[in-house]
Amino acid sequence: MSSAASLRASIEAQIPSAFAVYRRPEQRTIHTGIPQIDSLIGGVPFSALTEICGSELASSGKTSVLISLLTQATQEHFCALVDAADSFDPISAQAAGMNFTRLLWVRCGKNKSKLKPMEQAFKTTDMLLQSGGFGLVVVDLSSLPERLVRKVPLTTWFRFSRVVEKQRTSLVFLAQKSHATSCAGLVLNLKAKPAIWSGKLLTQFRLEAEVVRTREKKSSQSIKPDFSVQSQWA
Amino acid sequence: MFACMFAPDFPVQAALRLEPEDTREVLKQSPIAILDGPASLPRVMAANEPARLAGIEMDMTKLQVETCGRVWLRKRSPVNETTAQTALLDCAAGFSPRVESTVPGTVILDLAGTEKLFGRVQAVAQKIVSRAVEFGFDLNVAIASNPDTAFYAARGFAGITIIPAGEEAERLASLPVDVLSTSPEMLGLLEILDSWGIRNFRALALLPPVPVVERLGQHGLHLQKIARGETRRTLVPAQAALDFVESFEFDDPVETLESLSFILNRLLQQVCTRLLSRSLATNELRLKLELEARQLKSEEDREFYERSWKLPLPIQDAKVLFRLAYLDLEGNTQPAPIRKIIVQAVPIKPRFAQSGLFTPASPETEQLEITLARIRGVVGTADENGIACVGSPRVLDSHKPDSFNVQPFSGIDDDSDSSPAALPVIALRIFRPALQTAVELAEEKPCSMTLRKKQLKVLAASGPWRSSGNWWNASSAWARDEWDVALKTSEGIGFYRIYLDRIKNQWFVEGSFD
Repeated sequence: MSSAASLRASIEAQIPSAFAVYRRPEQRTIHTGIPQIDSLIGGVPFSALTEICGSELASSGKTSVLISLLTQATQEHFCALVDAADSFDPISAQAAGMNFTRLLWVRCGKNKSKLKPMEQAFKTTDMLLQSGGFGLVVVDLSSLPERLVRKVPLTTWFRFSRVVEKQRTSLVFLAQKSHATSCAGLVLNLKAKPAIWSGKLLTQFRLEAEVVRTREKKSSQSIKPDFSVQSQWA
Repeated sequence: MFACMFAPDFPVQAALRLEPEDTREVLKQSPIAILDGPASLPRVMAANEPARLAGIEMDMTKLQVETCGRVWLRKRSPVNETTAQTALLDCAAGFSPRVESTVPGTVILDLAGTEKLFGRVQAVAQKIVSRAVEFGFDLNVAIASNPDTAFYAARGFAGITIIPAGEEAERLASLPVDVLSTSPEMLGLLEILDSWGIRNFRALALLPPVPVVERLGQHGLHLQKIARGETRRTLVPAQAALDFVESFEFDDPVETLESLSFILNRLLQQVCTRLLSRSLATNELRLKLELEARQLKSEEDREFYERSWKLPLPIQDAKVLFRLAYLDLEGNTQPAPIRKIIVQAVPIKPRFAQSGLFTPASPETEQLEITLARIRGVVGTADENGIACVGSPRVLDSHKPDSFNVQPFSGIDDDSDSSPAALPVIALRIFRPALQTAVELAEEKPCSMTLRKKQLKVLAASGPWRSSGNWWNASSAWARDEWDVALKTSEGIGFYRIYLDRIKNQWFVEGSFD
């Protein structure tokens, strides 16, 4: 036995894990319910901040992806939706098969509060994360003017990412553009392709997802999967 | 064996019971007198030991009391005394199911069969005293083989007294006969005994029984049997009135939340202690604030403020209940100072459930209720239509678009049957309220429209989809022609749902498909 090997063996005899390689535990995720996205990134990660982005003026499919994600998440977890502009449609969610008993819906901006809707949304998110017990917390900021969301200081995103890092919760922000930069564990950008009409009926959206940022699988960033979402009456 | 719980100077203790603990300790050391009678001439009806040492006597007028130096004066509150007696019964109910409400401030309980639960009588007496402190009482406790011996020993001896069977006469011997003055009828007999030179139980017990009956009748003989510890009677158990109400009337109406919160906390602690002693919890808390009517700013203001909280699970924790009430009061300013506060808990059996192995992790119920109350403080309770701002959505059984309700979120799984759709569906982002718009038609189809002050070309339109409802009610009738349109925007193609309100004859944008 060489001297290096004998030295290693004698150290390991005293300290068994001295030369063990630390492996980061596999990150758990929540499936989005869209196979093309799930096969690429595995789903939305727990203990991380995720951003789902898309245009507000043009149809991008971000809300459809969010509804699909919430539908999947409510099968296994209690979820919270902080709706900054009160734009959530329960009828669409019901058509998607969402379990409403596991969804807490917070409608911001409905009273004459001193706080603006965005401030209400952030404060509520803080409370929900502090409370714990929710598998998924979604904050929908996409209906708010982009110039307002842009002004949110980076420290706020950093704080959220640090808070959620220690919890078994997935924190998802829905916005027009990505703002959390390096604080986000996953950034998905969505775009719509030409829709499919069946005679007079709008029956399907074709969407394209771009993984702008991910911590886990670098190679996935170059792939842009496209998928379809169907209308409720299709 | 029977235990007697006696609260000396009961009206004083009832008045101090709801004071914060530290204040109560200070007040106990100070002279306090309770006044009763007409407002023009109130007289002292009870006083504590420091007050008696300061020279306060029964039936003194307020003016006479004020000449005795600094004495705290309180108005007698029969409601407080009734509540205190109920609390005393609740305290006793934690030790025995057979409890007698003997007189105000005195409760006798049957300890038969409780040895295995609470240990020997000395230990039981200690536990009763320490439990009573939680209820805000300082008690004399006496344990004896018959209820009357325990009753008079508790009235006559301070602290804990244990009288073994057979030693009743010997142990009661030193008690003054004044202890027997529990009712006005006794006063005449006691005067006669006093004229005979009978000062204590020993002297009364030694009198020959037959001459006592000849001179004082059966009442006299009964008194002598009490002095000898020979009475035998059955206990009359009190019916448990499960009415968990605590109230406090301020001497001077309070304006600040801080002043109110001390008392509110104390009331809730008392309610929860009483619930615990009965092995109960609450799933509904009611709060009523009575306001000073003279200081109401307008005639529309009500003279009271009422609020109730329905909890998803039975709760026994006073801190959680206090937090819920405090957060509500913080968000609702009262139009006038608060004169009286009433707290009521609806009792229910506590639910003991073990978390399921396969049920999802959920927010802790007590913590969740506080979090939801705090969120309501930020986003508000309900919108202009009265729909809650925080809760679980429910789609209403109606053809009217965007018909939904928001129900309380409980964090409890109800095993509702829902399964995801095979393919993700196109979601609608709703504009609440719907945006007014102007639509240009060509061949009865939308060809262009304004959206956020911009004129946009309609690339494709699907419709009209006509629907209506509530035609029998003019105020809630609706009728619309719905179109799904593709608009050419600066960022790409946007799909929107627009509709013509046929009653108002106005176009609206309901939402966007996203």
